[in-house]
Amino acid sequence: MNVLTVTLNPALDREIVVENFKINEFHRVKNPSYSVMDPGGKGINVSVILSGLGVRNIAMGFLGGYIGKVVEERMRLMSDLITTAFIHVEEETRENIAIVDPVGETITEINSSGPIVKPDDLRMFVRRFDVALSRVRHVVISGSIPRGVDNEICRSLCKKVSNSGKVSFVEGIGPAFEMAVEAGVVTVARPDLRSRKLLFGETMVDLKDYVKAAKRMLERGARLAILSYAVEGDVIATNDGVWLFKTKSHIDRSHLLGTGDAFMSGVVNSMIENEKDYFLAAKRGMAAAVAEAEYISKERISLEDIDEHMDSFDIRELE
Amino acid sequence: MKVREAMIRDVSAMFEDETIEDFIVLCLRQNRSGLPVVDEEFKVVGFLSESDVIKSALPSYFSLLQSASFIPDTHQFVIRLGKIKDDHVSQHMVKPPVLIKPDDTVIYAADLLIKNGLKVMPVVDEYGKLMGIVNRIHLIHAATQGKIDR
Repeated sequence: MNVLTVTLNPALDREIVVENFKINEFHRVKNPSYSVMDPGGKGINVSVILSGLGVRNIAMGFLGGYIGKVVEERMRLMSDLITTAFIHVEEETRENIAIVDPVGETITEINSSGPIVKPDDLRMFVRRFDVALSRVRHVVISGSIPRGVDNEICRSLCKKVSNSGKVSFVEGIGPAFEMAVEAGVVTVARPDLRSRKLLFGETMVDLKDYVKAAKRMLERGARLAILSYAVEGDVIATNDGVWLFKTKSHIDRSHLLGTGDAFMSGVVNSMIENEKDYFLAAKRGMAAAVAEAEYISKERISLEDIDEHMDSFDIRELE
Repeated sequence: MKVREAMIRDVSAMFEDETIEDFIVLCLRQNRSGLPVVDEEFKVVGFLSESDVIKSALPSYFSLLQSASFIPDTHQFVIRLGKIKDDHVSQHMVKPPVLIKPDDTVIYAADLLIKNGLKVMPVVDEYGKLMGIVNRIHLIHAATQGKIDR
């Protein structure tokens, strides 16, 4: 087993494609394939994409109720390379609903908050995390923190990864993400800036704000910082410099679904082979994201897709 | 057909010092009839099923009786269950557990399940570490699909 992914607040992703979607109007889904259910939550998405890249992985976190069982079963059916080890909680797993409009180029997302995780559930999870950690080299902790769990959990798990000399990849937002980065226990840091462009108490507006935030993450000990910048760009920072990656072709907003998780998967996949080559990892991450953006839905890209897209973006050195 | 083609890749398990009450909650939430018991290295050291818990909660002479109606006071079961709910699973698990490897055939897995009266069996790697489970319904499904002799 190469990789452990942690999704503390998974979801059942329901994606509905509606042309000319408008609020307060009646819409009918034209084609059954335009209404799909997939296991979701950022860590689970990484697990699924990694399985498409041939990477055996174990997925952990909390699931609950009927929806939780659907998420788990669908993950198992998707690939033999995914092993599940979820703690099942009392309340129901949440649903994330995305309404994709390819004509209006919009995505409307509604994410519910998910179940409460009780102290006993957390205790059981942490003990199993410790054992699973001994079986892998790379740990992805991604997504939101469920109700009932302290924001400190992300730092605590990353510290375990760091103390065992292993590699952590963290994507998140808010205090949980910032506490882990500030503690210097995150190897690859990627803030999830979809809902707000706020990091370390500062709203990021200009490119220089993104560069400043990326450098702050490196100062705290991260080896690679990745910040999504505008729709088609990413600010990349390693101890060797700061770059702006920008796609050569236009990407519709409606095609952005899953691109962030594809980026992280590309980075993880690259670092399994070349653990210290952070710049190469960022390039393969970007190529994975561009490849994913060719699909309107979440699709499992292949290694060939990544190879083919290594030149699909420009790289500009910023510092 | 090999076990690896029919197994469920889920490594939900219990540790030896977790309680019978924990076991009941985990089984209820996951709709499982039993769980592997592992040590801190994830080696499977036992297996606990709902049948094992029932056996532990029934009087020792129950197995000699033809029917539950012979038990003078069925409330005894509830009282005994209350007494063992805080016990460690290691006190009631079956050990050594019946195990199978991913490269064994499903025919062999079915044989082990039938001979030992099991519904579920842990699948382990060459070091005895948990990789997943096989259960009866998945083997029956494989048989109905004509996959077993492959």
